[in-house]
Amino acid sequence: MLQILSTKQLTTRFIHTGARILNKKEMAVRQASLGGVDVDLETKTNVEKLKRGIAEFYDESSGIWEDIWGDHMHHGFYDPNSTISLSDHRAAQVRMIEEALKFASVPEDPMKKPKSIVDVGCGIGGSSQYLARKYGTECTGITLSPVQAERARALAAAQGLENKVSFEVADALNQPFPDGKFDLVWSMESGEHMPEKAKFVNELARVAAPGARIIIVTWCHRNLSSSEQSLNPDENKLLDKICDAYYLPTWCSTDDYVKLLQSLSLQDIKAADWSEYVAPFWPAVIRSALTWKGITSLILSGWKTIKGAMVMPLMMKGYKKGLIKFAIITCRKPE
Amino acid sequence: MRLLTHNMLSSNIKGVTNGFPLRIEVEKVVEKSVDFNPDFLKNMFAKIEYKALVEASRIMGYAELPDHAEPSMLESDDFLRKFHHALMELHLEEGTLVCPETGRRFPVNKGVPNMLLHEDEV
Repeated sequence: MLQILSTKQLTTRFIHTGARILNKKEMAVRQASLGGVDVDLETKTNVEKLKRGIAEFYDESSGIWEDIWGDHMHHGFYDPNSTISLSDHRAAQVRMIEEALKFASVPEDPMKKPKSIVDVGCGIGGSSQYLARKYGTECTGITLSPVQAERARALAAAQGLENKVSFEVADALNQPFPDGKFDLVWSMESGEHMPEKAKFVNELARVAAPGARIIIVTWCHRNLSSSEQSLNPDENKLLDKICDAYYLPTWCSTDDYVKLLQSLSLQDIKAADWSEYVAPFWPAVIRSALTWKGITSLILSGWKTIKGAMVMPLMMKGYKKGLIKFAIITCRKPE
Repeated sequence: MRLLTHNMLSSNIKGVTNGFPLRIEVEKVVEKSVDFNPDFLKNMFAKIEYKALVEASRIMGYAELPDHAEPSMLESDDFLRKFHHALMELHLEEGTLVCPETGRRFPVNKGVPNMLLHEDEV
């Protein structure tokens, strides 16, 4: 006799199954990713699988996101407890960029402002375009997704910025640049995709020129107290579900990033929890998904995108519990 | 991919000591007109590897750029325009970038280089 499951039950089972498999294999990666040791072959294969998943997720989803939200694929920065309409979100996304630059004290003086910029995990180039325009200089963006790189290029050309921004398909863990190339190293909500955090931070530092600023805006889990070795099982369970849908490896905390930057002798290290400033974002994304346009676009997009959409309430739950943090970590490479 | 971008790309395959510059194999070059911005060019001159730019521009079919350049030449409009053309207006739409040490080929499609490394190259 056929067992008829509701859509919700089907979805929950799928996400649970996927999450269990990911969790088992990612354990080794967590140790390695924070300790920076060489990973074994099985872990390497899983990392390759993750990268392919990330590329495919964005190949599939970028179009629908752009259609509804535009070219910035990151959270907006809002005044706490404000009420916003959909049209204000773009302004909030621009404000996020400006607040991050301010937090890192990036100079605006014509002599000291950045002259070369790398956008690590550039999406469809929203930040790259903004930064290139703001500083009047060239910016290059890297992404794992060929669809995104091509779209980024087309968008930049349409804005007359083809001469200032360029895009490559490349891996943030193995950036195709010589050492010390960039005055500003920008990672806006891409860090959460990086499976080996130590390698990720190392590459950011490697391609930074002496005196350059490094800005990381990313999703972290709460800092562990001195008596804790890890998050509690319920917390891990919630994060695993999100990891599966968004092609995220195991999460780390803001403190973990700070320690990595310290270990590389980077200076002026600053970190903050901006969770309260992004609170309106996920409810707004959910609302946009539930519009007629949102639903029809999702149906047409693909399973990866739909899964991503269905997990959005879990992001809200994570923030509400104080488990998920929207973090900014910045520093300066010594001269 | 314009040559300003080519000038910042290198092959970081495991074991490679000098992966710059990448050799260019041309399939399709497109010349695109770009606004001439002397200040931008002067800033860029200090940051680029000039020799690599000269070689690359020759392969792309442009032979006007002098073999050597000094910062003082940036005052010459004639030089600046040639520098501008080579750096900003020659685009490799289709082709390949080749690692100078290993010969590994990185494709360029629709102007976008794919620099992803395989598992055994990192």
